[in-house]
Amino acid sequence: MNVVMPQLGETVKEGTVTVWHKKVGDQVKEGERLFEVTTEKVDTEIPAPASGVLSALLVAEGQTVQVGTTLAVIEEPGKAVGVQPSAQRNAPEFSSSGSQAVARDSQRDSPASDRHGAERLSPVVRKLIAEHNLDPAEIRGSGAGGRITRDDVLAHLERRKAPAGPSQPGRGVASPGERAPLSRIRKRTAEQMALSWRTIPHVFQAMEVDFSAVEQARAARGEAWNAKEGWSLTYLPFVAHALCTALAEFPVLNAAFEGDSLLLHSTVNLGIAVDLGREGLIVPVVKEANRKSLPELARAIRSLVEKARSRQLAPDDVTEGTYTVSSSGNFGTFFTAPIINPPQVAILSIDGVTRKPIALQEAGGESVAIRPVAILGQSFDHRALDGAYSAAFLRRLKAILEGREWLSALG
Amino acid sequence: MTTRSTIASEAARPTEDIDERTRLSLYRLLLEIRSVEKRAYDLFLQNLVKGTSHLSLGQEAVAAGFAAAMRSDDYTFCTYRGHAHTLARGAPMVGVLGELLGRQCGLMQGKGGSMHLTSVAHGAMGSYAIVGAHLPVANGAAWSAQYRGTDQVSVCFFGDGTTNIGAFHEALNLAAVWKLPVLFVCENNLYMEYTPIGTVTAVQHPAADRAQAYGLKPINIDGNDADAVYRVAREWIGHARAGRGPALIEAKTYRTSGHSRADPAKYRPPGELEEWLARDPLALYRSRLIGLGFEEGTLRSIEGAVQRAVDEATEAAKASPPAPPALIEKDVWADGGSAWRN
Amino acid sequence: MAQLTYREAVAAGIAQEMERDESVVFLGEDVADAGGVFKATVGLLERFGPKRVRNTPISEQAIIGAAMGAAMTGLRPIAEIMFSDFLAVCWDMIANEIAKARYMSGGQISLPLVIRTANGAGSRFGAQHSQSVENWAMSIPGLKVVAPSNSADVKGLLAAAVRDPDPVIVFEHKALYASKGEVPEGELVDRLGTAKVLRQGNDVTLVALAAMVPRALEAAEQLDREDKISATVVDVRSLVPLDTKTLLAETSKTGRLYTIEENPRLCGWGAELASIVAQECFYELDGPIVRITTPHVPLPAADALEDNTIPTVERIVETVRRTSG
Repeated sequence: MNVVMPQLGETVKEGTVTVWHKKVGDQVKEGERLFEVTTEKVDTEIPAPASGVLSALLVAEGQTVQVGTTLAVIEEPGKAVGVQPSAQRNAPEFSSSGSQAVARDSQRDSPASDRHGAERLSPVVRKLIAEHNLDPAEIRGSGAGGRITRDDVLAHLERRKAPAGPSQPGRGVASPGERAPLSRIRKRTAEQMALSWRTIPHVFQAMEVDFSAVEQARAARGEAWNAKEGWSLTYLPFVAHALCTALAEFPVLNAAFEGDSLLLHSTVNLGIAVDLGREGLIVPVVKEANRKSLPELARAIRSLVEKARSRQLAPDDVTEGTYTVSSSGNFGTFFTAPIINPPQVAILSIDGVTRKPIALQEAGGESVAIRPVAILGQSFDHRALDGAYSAAFLRRLKAILEGREWLSALG
Repeated sequence: MTTRSTIASEAARPTEDIDERTRLSLYRLLLEIRSVEKRAYDLFLQNLVKGTSHLSLGQEAVAAGFAAAMRSDDYTFCTYRGHAHTLARGAPMVGVLGELLGRQCGLMQGKGGSMHLTSVAHGAMGSYAIVGAHLPVANGAAWSAQYRGTDQVSVCFFGDGTTNIGAFHEALNLAAVWKLPVLFVCENNLYMEYTPIGTVTAVQHPAADRAQAYGLKPINIDGNDADAVYRVAREWIGHARAGRGPALIEAKTYRTSGHSRADPAKYRPPGELEEWLARDPLALYRSRLIGLGFEEGTLRSIEGAVQRAVDEATEAAKASPPAPPALIEKDVWADGGSAWRN
Repeated sequence: MAQLTYREAVAAGIAQEMERDESVVFLGEDVADAGGVFKATVGLLERFGPKRVRNTPISEQAIIGAAMGAAMTGLRPIAEIMFSDFLAVCWDMIANEIAKARYMSGGQISLPLVIRTANGAGSRFGAQHSQSVENWAMSIPGLKVVAPSNSADVKGLLAAAVRDPDPVIVFEHKALYASKGEVPEGELVDRLGTAKVLRQGNDVTLVALAAMVPRALEAAEQLDREDKISATVVDVRSLVPLDTKTLLAETSKTGRLYTIEENPRLCGWGAELASIVAQECFYELDGPIVRITTPHVPLPAADALEDNTIPTVERIVETVRRTSG
């Protein structure tokens, strides 16, 4: 049986073998820890897919290979060993029998580009991409339907070779400084951001929300919560809870854009954007957030954020998100127009709750009061929906946050 | 007082215008064919001959009679029942048996098998397994001889069933129109595979009764009498060689085995086989030779020699290695290979 | 250089070889006095006499059988089968006998013969006199197959076929007989197994045979003018032996292969070429291989129908335009 590089995340295309826990000739048991992999999303242990003898190790520790590449061969007892598969070739492996690939669509390569109309990569294009280690997301497709043609790849390679314009220092340009290569996560984030920005027409809408009701519940239960759980309840779980309700009423915002149709998801898998310092962003996903109570949400979010910060996220933790929320609580910013996580069609940003004077309408007239206020900003994909819909959603979200019985929700 | 030698010389006189040498060689040919065919039968029962095999047991006289009348540079064409004709032209026994056994020593190294015995060196230009196909081809060889002015003759052997297929008629017509030096010899053994020929043919003599349709003379002969065959063969080969055109000859005979090895011939009416066995060409000829004064000892020594030859050929064929796989892609083209691309 | 019609080039090719080699003989229906029903063998009887140029009865099996028998005994016959559809009448001779005699005889039998026949549609002769059947011959081991598209090629390939020691079927195209082309003076002998690149392009490779070749060239012009699609055009010329080197090289350059075939769809010659390219050139392909063929129907007789059945320049252009993105 061939052991192949699994696909650890929807947009993950390659991985690096960091540690082999077995060597050639060792007995291996199915399910036993076989090797470790690092990708831009996660570091993870991979178990052996079958029992037998590890008869070949084709990829060394520290080597980075494409998803689907055969890494090793396990000779199962009683099964004839076929022709040894070649080690990583220029042409990428696409079918991975016995692969540990998590994503359902491990048969398809480059799912990110697949979702953007330029799906079909012809054999020569795939070959060139593999040979030159390119990312199809970076290549402009001039063929029918945005298809990347062979000439597109060749032109791309030409452009890469050619010395850049004055804004980009190339080799030998006299501008002193220290070169800092991007981490894999940074690089990946960069590619994703660029793709999203390039292909999605973003529109940003902001709404001011009064967090008094949330604040009251937090104040009432905060201490007890802290004592019990060991950590504080932040605003984020409340926003998440309200989001699930609102998204149920505004399903277009909880959808995937597929070119000529929208896939309206039946559950809310809520992505929580986590900042990993200079390294970049990662978005673990709370699955079926709409089924969770507020305390469950709070715990789920907390657990994911912890795992993210300690680089312990499992492959399943970062896939299948349907909507993303980005909390920039402690940045001190007024609002942020976030970048949508394709194929999702919207993303919400909350920039910290601060105490602000607001005008209150009361029976007696107007007055000024100080309240905990936050700006909720939603970036949405204008191909999928329009401003009126988004604004209505935000109004609803605001209404829930300002009006829900949060104490009962806390249980 | 008549001595034995007087009787012998009287019998060998020109009224029987076949000389002693020819008679003995006819006898030898009959024997060789009979012995090899019997051996082929045995080898088939031993499962050393695979596939199918069509024997000429009982029909030896036609092959022998014509072969004795031919020149070595004449051409012969025959059907898949062609062991007799191929041997009669002088092809080696070991080559014939070897081909049946699929060995390297086979005439065609195992590439053709029993139904396609060919020895161009002996003028045996192929045995043909599609009924009637070789008649037009025999024409071509005759045309070639005529064109080159060599007075070679082409002799084509086929069965009664052939007379009903299209190629027969096309060939006869063209041969007559172009006056080609070709003899068409029909071995009428009364059965077209498993069917009596009379039930599927519009005329009584399947070949001879069609001759006039092509402006040719109807010729019927006793195919089991080697002398009778020889005389007719000699006459009409001479006719063709002299540029006087083709002939169609029908020789009545009988196969004492089935159509092929796989056929026990249960479709024959009772008594028919026995009747023909009584007219066995070999037995018939032997007793004629004795009657003509040939020595028993002479005949026995020929018989012994033939038997030894067959035994030696059998052993040599069995000892020859099977045809090697390297032959599979050889000899599609004149360059010896089979390449269809660069 | 001389301007010869395709039919004049046929006669010239046969004459060239008959002049050169006394063992070359020619037979067929109406080929002698009448000069052939397509007037492709005019003058041969006068020049070489009735011994070498022979009329036959309507007896396709006898004709081909005679050619086979003569070829195996020292002559180099050229046999005409008037319409390629009639190859079916003597198919046993061709497929079972001629194609296999050398092989079955272990190399003893030699058949240096040529069968030439008028192939193809466009003359409103109906379904039984208009077929393109070169793919039938291609599929039988032991037969060499050529289908020239122009005067020089038909003369040169006929000569090469006569000189070839193996059986060769030369598929002349009846709709091309009147076409004119430049033919070099003097002895002309081409090479079997060689394709010709008639036009070099960058975007797509069009591979065509016989009467489809001029259509491919016209389509290439139009695609260049109207769509800025630059097409390579390859004249296959020889199906067996096949010039796969040129096919693979020209397909790799553009990454896009189109075959343009007059035969009906199933098992046309382009299917074999497409499969070779798909297997051996897979990683150079920038898009699917597309076959442009006559649909899988017998050919209709009416001109309005026939003209729209075999691939037209319009259909070639439209197909390439639609699928080459």
